[in-house]
Amino acid sequence: MLPLSLLNAAQNKPMLVELKNGETFNGHLVNCDNFMNITLREVYQTNAEGDRFWKLKECYIRGSTIKYLRVPDTLLDAVKDEQSRAREAGRSARGAHVSGAGARGRGAPTRGGRGAVRGGPVRGGRGRGRGA
Amino acid sequence: MDKPKREAILDLAKYANERIRVKFTGGREVTGILKGYDQLLNLVLDEVEEQLQGEGEPKTRSLGLVVLRGPTVTLLSPVDGWEEIANPFVAQE
Repeated sequence: MLPLSLLNAAQNKPMLVELKNGETFNGHLVNCDNFMNITLREVYQTNAEGDRFWKLKECYIRGSTIKYLRVPDTLLDAVKDEQSRAREAGRSARGAHVSGAGARGRGAPTRGGRGAVRGGPVRGGRGRGRGA
Repeated sequence: MDKPKREAILDLAKYANERIRVKFTGGREVTGILKGYDQLLNLVLDEVEEQLQGEGEPKTRSLGLVVLRGPTVTLLSPVDGWEEIANPFVAQE
């Protein structure tokens, strides 16, 4: 479960973003990128002291200013299901000889981590598992 | 890495000639009319008003036409649809 894949899966979901300066933003995620820059819509902004509030139609937040994001609990299950389904699909498509790919995909570092040296089947499996 | 997503997640074209609010690292905050931008989020704003931080009644100062450096921008939102409101969370808790 990678932080950015969870965030990617959170598109159109409500979330709370707290910045390093303590300001918080409640809104629905519109888009995000690999820097964790995000755009939100229908946003409630709260100042760092928690005593003033603003409503914003939309906003862009620079990823490097974010302290944390709170996302719905249900998102974790959705992403896990999606990952295992993608793994299953990749496995059955390629046959039995790569059946270990899923287990290795769990992140055993002894196997070279990213699986890059293993070539085609393993790499393909991971890519799909993360990206889908 | 499969093909990196290179399109910007924010299309600033939709804010062209519209007043936007920008916050910077360090806490400065300005509003201005968006006249230009690039992919690094460097901005050209006209009729810029800086909202000065501090106690007491809110103060502003006029800066005119300004180039804003992208890497220092932390927050960007349109002024249209922006308003201070009462605590929206009390009812829910």
